[in-house]
Order: sequence, then C-alpha cells, then structure tokens
Amino acid sequence: MDVTTRHIKYQADCDPSFPAAIKKIPGCEKLDSCIQCGTCSGVCPLSIYMDMTPRRVMNLVRYGFKKEVMASNTIWLCSSCYACTVECPREIKVTDIMYALKQMAIREKAYPRRFAMVVLANEFYKMVRSRGRVNEIHLVTRLNLLTNPLKMLGMARLGIELIRRGRFSLRPESVRDPQRIREIMEYPENGNGKEARTQ
Amino acid sequence: MENNGKEVRIGVYICHCGLNIAGTIDVKAVCDYAQTLPHVALARTYKYMCSDPGQEMIIADIAEHGLNRIVVAACSPNLHEATFRGALQRAGLNPYYFQMVNIREHGSWVHEDRKAATEKAKDQVRAAVARVQYHKPLERKRFAVDQSVLVVGGGIAGITAALEIANSGKHVYLVEREPSIGGHMAKYDKTFPTLDCAACILTPKMSEVREHPNITLWTYSEVQEVAGHVGKFQVKVRRKPRYIDEELCVGCMECVSACVYKEPKFEDEFNEGLGKRKPIFMPFPQAVPPVVTIDPETCLKFKTGKCKSPCATVCDRKAVDFSQTERIEEIEVGAVIIATGFKTFDATRLPLYGYGIYANVYTSLEVERLVNSSGPTGGEIVCRNGRKPKSIGIIHCVGSRDKKTNRWCSRVCCMYSLKLAHLLREHTGADVYQFYIDMRCPGKGYDEFYERLLDEGIQMIRGRAAEVTDWTMTPEEEGKLVIRVEDTLSAYVRRIPVDMVVLSVGLEPAAGADEVRRMFNISCSKEGFFLEKHPKLAPVETATAGVFIAGCCQGPKDIPDTVAQAGAAAAHAIALLDKGFVEIEPNTAYINPDHCSGCKSCIPLCPYHAISFDEQLKKARIDEALCAGCGTCVAACPSGSIIQNLFEDDQIFSEIDEVLSHV
Repeated sequence: MDVTTRHIKYQADCDPSFPAAIKKIPGCEKLDSCIQCGTCSGVCPLSIYMDMTPRRVMNLVRYGFKKEVMASNTIWLCSSCYACTVECPREIKVTDIMYALKQMAIREKAYPRRFAMVVLANEFYKMVRSRGRVNEIHLVTRLNLLTNPLKMLGMARLGIELIRRGRFSLRPESVRDPQRIREIMEYPENGNGKEARTQ
Repeated sequence: MENNGKEVRIGVYICHCGLNIAGTIDVKAVCDYAQTLPHVALARTYKYMCSDPGQEMIIADIAEHGLNRIVVAACSPNLHEATFRGALQRAGLNPYYFQMVNIREHGSWVHEDRKAATEKAKDQVRAAVARVQYHKPLERKRFAVDQSVLVVGGGIAGITAALEIANSGKHVYLVEREPSIGGHMAKYDKTFPTLDCAACILTPKMSEVREHPNITLWTYSEVQEVAGHVGKFQVKVRRKPRYIDEELCVGCMECVSACVYKEPKFEDEFNEGLGKRKPIFMPFPQAVPPVVTIDPETCLKFKTGKCKSPCATVCDRKAVDFSQTERIEEIEVGAVIIATGFKTFDATRLPLYGYGIYANVYTSLEVERLVNSSGPTGGEIVCRNGRKPKSIGIIHCVGSRDKKTNRWCSRVCCMYSLKLAHLLREHTGADVYQFYIDMRCPGKGYDEFYERLLDEGIQMIRGRAAEVTDWTMTPEEEGKLVIRVEDTLSAYVRRIPVDMVVLSVGLEPAAGADEVRRMFNISCSKEGFFLEKHPKLAPVETATAGVFIAGCCQGPKDIPDTVAQAGAAAAHAIALLDKGFVEIEPNTAYINPDHCSGCKSCIPLCPYHAISFDEQLKKARIDEALCAGCGTCVAACPSGSIIQNLFEDDQIFSEIDEVLSHV
C-alpha cells in the first residue's frame, strides 16, 4: 500500500469551466441548488452498482472535479428511469445532468476503448441516419465486432434460432425517404435552431 | 399666492444623506436651482437632515425667516416624513404644510448618470414646491379605544397572550374552536430540550385562564364576522352547541359511563385517531373548561331519536340539554390577537413513505400520543400489529424543504425528532435511527441536547430517506419495514430494517387560516402563514392596525419562541388600550354632499368597507376611522364629489404640471 500518495484536492485541480458548461445545457440549470440529501441515490435502482452515488456525482460536478466524474461508471450505468428527477426535493433534473455528462464524455472520448455503451450509441445513430430504421441483427453484429468479436461465437446458436423463427430479419429495412430523416438530424447538428433551444 | 392673507414662503432642504444622495446627485446644484423657484424664500443643503441639528435648522429658519411651507428632499417618506412633520409642529407650524421628496430610493440609489439624476431631482423638487403651496392645515383625529381584547385561538400562544392582558387589568375574550383550550401543546408528552412534561407546565396556565375574572372563555366557538377598526372592532362569535350546559357541568363523567355505547367506538380526534371515544366525551382529563361535549354526528339521540338518553337521566345537575342551538355573541373590542396555530403535513401526500399503507408507519404527532401516559395505550409503545418495536426509524423533513410539497424548513422537527428518539429509546430500549438532511438545533440548550442524544447511542444517518417498503432482500428484513437511504457521509446506499417508522411531519398553516385572514383583513405569505408588518422590526403587528399575530400562525416556531411572541403581542395590545385613543392620519377622503348624486358606485369599491349610504339624505358617507386613504373612491366618483385630504385636485395637478413642464 502506497502511503505516500496525497489524496488532498487542491483548488487548482478543480475545473470551474466544467460545471459552467454543464449548467448551460437546458435542464441542467438547477445543479447549484442541490442540498446533498441523497434522495437521488436512495431511489436509484442502479446506485447499488455505481462506484459513486448520483448524489456524489452532483457535488463533484458542481465543484469542478471533472477527471473524477469522467472516470466513474455512474454516468454509464444510469438507465434514465427518471426516479431521481421525480423525487428530487430541489427539482433538479438529475437524469438530464447524467445525459449531459455522457454526451460530454463521448465528445471528449473520455471512456475506455471499445466501451460497448458508446459503440452502441454511435452505431444506433449511424444506422438511423442512413436508413431511418434499426435492424437488430445488423446492430448486434456491428456492436460485437467492434467490442468483443469472440463473444459472437457464444451467441451464434441463439442467433440462428432467432433467425429461423423469424424474430431477426436479415433484410435491412428502410423508411421510404431516408434523406428526409437525415435532414432532420442534420438540422440541429449544423447549429440550426440553437437560439430556440437555449430559450 | 396667499396663505390666510400671508405671503407663501417656502423653505427647501436638500439632504446629502452622507454619500447616499450626494454621491450621485449634485445637491449643491439642486439647492441653487430651488432658490430660483417662485415663493422659495430659502434653500439649504445639509449632511443629515434627519439628525437633530438638521431638524433644529428647520425650526430656527421657520422662526427667523418666517417660512410657512417646508419641502425636504431626502429619503423615502416611509422613513422620515413623521420626523419632519414633528419638527414643523415643534416650530408652531401645521405639520401638513410639508412635502417630502424622495431623491434617494427614487434617485441616487437607482441611477448612475450623475447629470441626469441631478436633473431628475430638480424636477422632483420643482413639483413639490408647486404642490406644497396648495397644502391646507389638517388635524389628526382621535378615537377612543375599547378596553377589551379578542384573542383568537386557545393554544399556548393564545393562552399566554390572554393571561398577560388579563393580568394587566383588561378584559379578554378567548375564542377556541375545539371543545378545550390547550392546542397542540396539550397533545405533547415532553418538551425539548429540558424534557419537562408538557401537561405539567401547560395545565396550570389553562386553569388560570378558566379562573381568571378578566377572561371570558368561549370554547367550541368560532369568529364569524368582523367589522370596525382599530380601537373598536365589532365581532360576532358563533358558539356551537355542545348540548351540555357549561355552567352546570362539573365534569364528573357520570354521563360518559352511562352512555348506551358501553365501549368507546368512535375515532378520538385528540389521540389522532389512535384511540376511541364515545359520542359524549371530554377530549382529555385536564380539559378546560372541564365539561363534556356531545358529538351529534355519532350520538344516537340525534341520529335516530330513539335513544333513552341515560346520560341526561344520570346527570343530577341536569346539564344535558339536547335542545341547545347555535348562539351568536356580539362583542366590541379595541384590539385583536390572532393565534390560530398550525396543522401538521398530511403524510399520505408522500406515498413513498408508506403512511396509511403500512400499519407501523406513524406520524410524529401520533407518537406523541403513544408515548403519553394518558394516551391511547397508557404510555406503552406498542405498534398497530400489537408488538413492541425493537428498532425504530425516524424520518425527518417529511413535507418540509421539498419544492414539491412545502419549501420551508418547519424549524421544530429536528428537535422534536431528537426528543421522540430519546423517549422511544427510554420506553422500549429499541435501536433508534434518525434519517436527517441537516440537523438544525439552534437554540438555548438545543445543540447540547443533540450531543446528549449522540451519547445515548441514537444512530444518526445523514440522508433523506428514499422509501419505506416491506419488500425484503435478506432474511433479517423479513417481517420488517425497510428504509432505503443513502448514508451520504459514508457514501453508501443502505437498507435499514425497522419495526416502526416515525414520520417527522412539517408544519402548515392551520385549516381555515385563509378565512381568518380575510375576516381580519390581514395578508399572508406565499405559504399561507400570516404576514407580519416587518420581518424584523414589527414581528407581531400586521398591516391592519390593532390586529396582532402570535405563534405558529405567523410561521413555524417552537414553544419558547411562541410564548415570547405571544407576550410581545399582548404588550402591543395593552399599550394600545392603555393609551386610550388612536390617532389617524388625516389623508382620508370625504364627500361633498352638495355634489354627491347618491349613485352608490363608490360603496362596493372601498376595500376597507368605509363607505356607507345615508338613506335619509340619499348620499354616501365615509367613515374617517375606517378610511385608509387609498383614493379608489376619489378616482371612481362620476360627479367628482369625493375629495381626499393631501391629494386634492389643485395639489396633484400642480405637481403633475411641474414634473412634465419641460416635456
């Protein structure tokens, strides 16, 4: 055990631009009014698996401990059931803040390589963008190829069975006019409607 | 311009208010400008006009320069109008030959551009100089004050206030809605932090109220109607029939034993529904007045008419009277103290805590009765399932500090939770857990009490309980209620199995507080608690003169604070009565009967019910004592026959003309 490592936090370690950036996102404004009562952690069905409770994440975000928050598994475990948002006595939208943190982590690539959750989100998005629909077998195949290809072998039997019974379609599906979907998705991406969103 | 044949000579005084005004406004320039205005005999500046030398300067100038109108440009008239009017009076001038200009709150404090602010101050001074010429000498009117006080609410606040006033020799009418006085305090077992028995300190005061020659006690009664004004309120009190002659009943309880219901069958309100009572009952043994009450909702005589009424037969004093009806008492009082208290938060509004779902979830008030030796179990702590609890969880902030229910901190819950923890542990030896967000124990001896509880081994878990459930995950949790919470100081989510859950419910305005508020014409805060005149400097006065507030109707507070506030309210009422008269500002409206057409359009508009209609003369009439000088009727009168002192047409129009003269 290394007893010489310092665990003290110097004020210089904090990044005040981190909470500022989060609070700018619509829905995350009320972060500062948190009283650290722990209701969010208490009602969270997944908090028992988290390395940091949601309450602790709120405090770390508020005071700029970006590195610690980005390294925790909490934001990825949040399944957006919204129990915390419903029960918070200060009406803080905890789930929305979790989303904001996830987006920031994805943008800054602050997650382990081949992290399934991020790969799934990206592949899902790409698929919707190109066809307007999601095909499960294609999505699962891509997800596994990009994260853990060996796992596919173990799942082969189940996959074949599902295809045989018509639960998985091999034919890629598409909406009638995927171009329209693309336009919709590009609209906010290109910064359009920004004013409307920040209002 | 003439003034009773004399030339109008105006003195204008510009205050620096240190740098508050002089920092932003060029007072010298304003003063030089004032000097040039018509009828201004003299203009000066001074560092602090409100100071003694400032006032003396005005008084000396009035004598030396023969000034007969004064304009002071300084702060808000709310602060110092009375000061300067007093100075005029001391100089022998009518105090209403005065106009105050607010160049601080309306000038220096809200502007940054020095030049523009100075120009604005000049405009304000010019307008005041123009208006003050038309001022007329006015007299403050005096009215006699009735020598009795109405106290609404017979809890510890009302009892304290009533006794203080009665002891000063004034008469008090104490009106209480319930069959007995005592309020919430009568339900408590012990009081924090000293743990003295609530009944032991309260009941002597209750008996004192009953025996006091200066107190008329009306229980089971409610205020129905209020009219009049400070010094003379006309109040109607509705006395509900209790079907017992209060004068004859001695509280022997023979009738209760004789009732056809051999066993108590109906929910006992005093014991929070944990016990049962008969249709004829006394709420608790030390009730004041010590008389029984018949509840017509449950009494067979009223429900079927077929009861043989053994209660009436057994009473040798013939106190049972089924023919009693509602009575209205009409009284006149000089002052009113409102002490209507609070109600506790309805815990069913937070279903996650399981109140009303799981039998062994209690509110704190229920537990007060449970630990009380005169309570439904005789002081034995047994849960609704008949078992003695081995572990107890007390959840704080139920219906407090929560934006979805009540935002405010109810102030007393932390301390009463600690008290209940102590009592429950003492009675049962159980493990007691406190689930708190922040432990708030400010008060004399309060934090020491917290320290004592820590030493007693009460487990303090910092975290707002998320839920109470009977869904178990481990064998130890079988048959128990589980409290799920994040222990925030250890940063673990924990599940704590307990036999009994106590919800520390917050305080809310009493049921019917809104009707009381409307009746007495006072305001309330957003939460519904009655609003004091000033949060710091006038905590028991209200916006309505002669109406004072005390206790939890003004906001959650503990017994020491309530008693202190009740004493303060009593002192205000006594001072008002002792002075013997009230003076009212002369800025009231009056009707010129030659012009009034009797259209009655002003009558419903008056917020103070000050206007009545003289049926003989067919003209409206304004009661000066009630008029608050709001000006609504003046603006509304179609024939222009209502005139308001200090706001007459020539006064207002000359002021407006000058403000707008450069436009």
